[in-house]
Amino acid sequence: MRDYVLEIKGLVKDFPGVRAVNDVSFNIERNTVHCLVGENGAGKSTLIKILTGALERTDGTILLNGQEYVSNNPGEARKKGISTLFQELNVVDQLTVEENLTLGMEDTTFGFLRKSTKIKKMVEVLKEIEPSIDPKQKVKRLSVAKKQIVEIAKAVASESNIIIMDEPTASISESEIKRLFKIIRELKRNNVTVIYISHRLDEIFEIGDYVTVMRDGKHIATKPVAEMEDRSELIRMMIGKSIVESYIPKEAEEEDILLEVRNLSNEKLKNIAFNIKKGEVVGFYGLVGAGKTELARAIFGADRYSGEVIFKGKQLGSTPAKAIEAGIALVPEERRTQGIFTILTIRSNIPVMNMKKISNGGFVDAAKEKQVAIEYIDKLKIVTSGPEKETAKLSGGNQQKLVFAKCLFADSDLLILDEPTRGIDVGAKSEIYSIVRQLAEGGKSIMFLSSELPEILNLCDRIFLLFDGEIKAELINGPDIDSRKIIHIVTGGE
Amino acid sequence: MIEKTRKEELKTGSLGEGRISNLTFINIVMIGVLVALFIVASLIVPNFFNINTVSNLIAQQAEIIIIGIGIAYLLISGYFDMSVGGIIAMAAVLCAYFSQENRGIEGLSSGLGMSYGVAAALTVLICSIIGLINAFLVVKMNIASVIATLATMALARGVALIVARGAQRNAGLPPEFKQIGQHTFFATINVAVLIMVILVIVALIIERKTVFGRRIFLIGANSEAARLSGIKVSREVSLLYIASSILAAITGIIMASKFNAGNAAFGTGYEFDALVVTVLGGTSIFGGFGSVTCVVVGAFILGILKTSVNMLGFQPDLQLVVSGVVIIIAILAQRYAINRRSG
Repeated sequence: MRDYVLEIKGLVKDFPGVRAVNDVSFNIERNTVHCLVGENGAGKSTLIKILTGALERTDGTILLNGQEYVSNNPGEARKKGISTLFQELNVVDQLTVEENLTLGMEDTTFGFLRKSTKIKKMVEVLKEIEPSIDPKQKVKRLSVAKKQIVEIAKAVASESNIIIMDEPTASISESEIKRLFKIIRELKRNNVTVIYISHRLDEIFEIGDYVTVMRDGKHIATKPVAEMEDRSELIRMMIGKSIVESYIPKEAEEEDILLEVRNLSNEKLKNIAFNIKKGEVVGFYGLVGAGKTELARAIFGADRYSGEVIFKGKQLGSTPAKAIEAGIALVPEERRTQGIFTILTIRSNIPVMNMKKISNGGFVDAAKEKQVAIEYIDKLKIVTSGPEKETAKLSGGNQQKLVFAKCLFADSDLLILDEPTRGIDVGAKSEIYSIVRQLAEGGKSIMFLSSELPEILNLCDRIFLLFDGEIKAELINGPDIDSRKIIHIVTGGE
Repeated sequence: MIEKTRKEELKTGSLGEGRISNLTFINIVMIGVLVALFIVASLIVPNFFNINTVSNLIAQQAEIIIIGIGIAYLLISGYFDMSVGGIIAMAAVLCAYFSQENRGIEGLSSGLGMSYGVAAALTVLICSIIGLINAFLVVKMNIASVIATLATMALARGVALIVARGAQRNAGLPPEFKQIGQHTFFATINVAVLIMVILVIVALIIERKTVFGRRIFLIGANSEAARLSGIKVSREVSLLYIASSILAAITGIIMASKFNAGNAAFGTGYEFDALVVTVLGGTSIFGGFGSVTCVVVGAFILGILKTSVNMLGFQPDLQLVVSGVVIIIAILAQRYAINRRSG
């Protein structure tokens, strides 16, 4: 019998309207690198959050070293032997390396910090892993890669059996990745199991012993990496079979170019060039971190860029106010923090992008405002007791419809939709799809940015593939589109 | 037709809509508290319920309410303005200095000899520069608004102290200088009260009826969403800081008129009083929620309490303790009421 460090049995996690993790069972062998892959929304993050104690499971059991495992917070998880390297590193820039190492597990006497053998041990571990890091140094002076190493040292020194690494290579350089892999191999020899999450499939073949594929919250397969034929087998498992619904893209009848982007670059984006025609739905597909949100925000004038953004024949101004005036609206990625005003009513949210339409000489026409609110609540089927409801009390899907209502009321010619269906239930999703279709039929142009391939294939006429801030390919959608090739490209393949 | 029905339902509020908003609710609660307090004070404080006490009470709140308008607007949009107390002193001293008779000598008794109207207008103009500095520091330099405006408060009071040479300017002022503060229509109701009433009405119209007023709430509720919805957040907030400094300047001119002097100590602590009454009246310090009504109601609640403590013969120092306790109770009560309602 194999020696499993972690056994997951029938794990379920429900969110309102969504089953994020659906009856997942698999085992993780001791002292291996176990990779976890799947598209965005496949359930990886939720699974990790349950392991670290950030989320409570709805059902199922987890055995750690054969013992029933429950954790209510990341601190408790660490004590039980599971440490996590989050994408957003958990280090405090203002403190020294040494202070960071013992952060959260300081020895104290009557509340006063005590220098202890613990620090010494931590520093020794760090020295072993990476001698070039000075423990007295402030962490803010370290590169991202070195900060990761500090966290790894902390995990090792606190005797973790399992270290979870969530996209550890997302923001570090090639040579740093090599060093990280060396450390990971070293960890295996030192009785540590690594759960490795990455969108970069090549890495899995390089470092992984096992790979578990998840899709739509379900466990698809767990296999030794050595038994995998190649990337394409992995990709097949990630995307399943029948995801191409028969969408017939519109032939762009008129060569009426609405938006022309040339040479757009900034910190994240490199030389982006594309155009959008009138009535066209143009998709931008890429995984998290590919630069979709950055692209949307740059065009909308919310972030700085160099290059040309020509809209209706004129260079677009560089503020959201100017973009809206020119006829562009944005459905932002984060609806609660960027899209809606949660403490205000539905009525006062809807007209925000186009106050002129409900006012006379600077005075709000209250009757008209209410009429508009009712019209859009009805049109978008927002579930509410009425227009005076606080938007904080709406469900995620209804909040998203409200963001759409805002943008529709602005009556723009181009709508930029950044992950418009993230975190909403299936019903609301399909309603949003039909809104997008209606808009395109009505002659509006849509820029649709998403990390979910099915919806891109379902809605878009043309598709641009983004990886690492660059457009890697342009495809015309159609029945013979090759989704495996798409995944190959957006995961960094040539 | 089912569709029609849903629209009808939404319109008539038959889906459970039709409750008053949280803001209206808090306003009603606090007005209730004010009325109750007034009745209790009338019953237990000897001589409270008489025309002089009441008109005094009203006249005394004019200054706090006027600066409170600016404070409330900024608070609703998510910013603090602590500079107003300093601006009051600066305005009072400058206005006195500008209108003092020019005797051609150095010293406190000689000024620039401008006509009163010109002096007042120039004072407002100069004080609005402090608002401009506030806007620059907060909006462009991204300094926390409390800190930036505390600095400019010191700056403004420093100017007042220099011009008043650490004391006050009260010699050689023209007769019209004291009109605003001392000309009364009825009991102690003076021109300052009239100005206050007009400003409150204008402020309420702006707050409730205009697009500009709407933007104040939107910025306070979510400034990033406001920016992405095309609101020029920097411009709006700058305008509010300038407006607040102008209101403080008007208050300074009123106080100078009342005392027929420009004193560098005027307005000390007023920024805190104005903040306290605004929050006491129900405005949220987290932005997006509040009203000028809160300022008015809050000011009178605190005014009645202070007057009562005074008239009941307690030592004046007790006033502060009472204010502190009442504010804590009021804020806890408001939170309780809102939570009960939402829950």
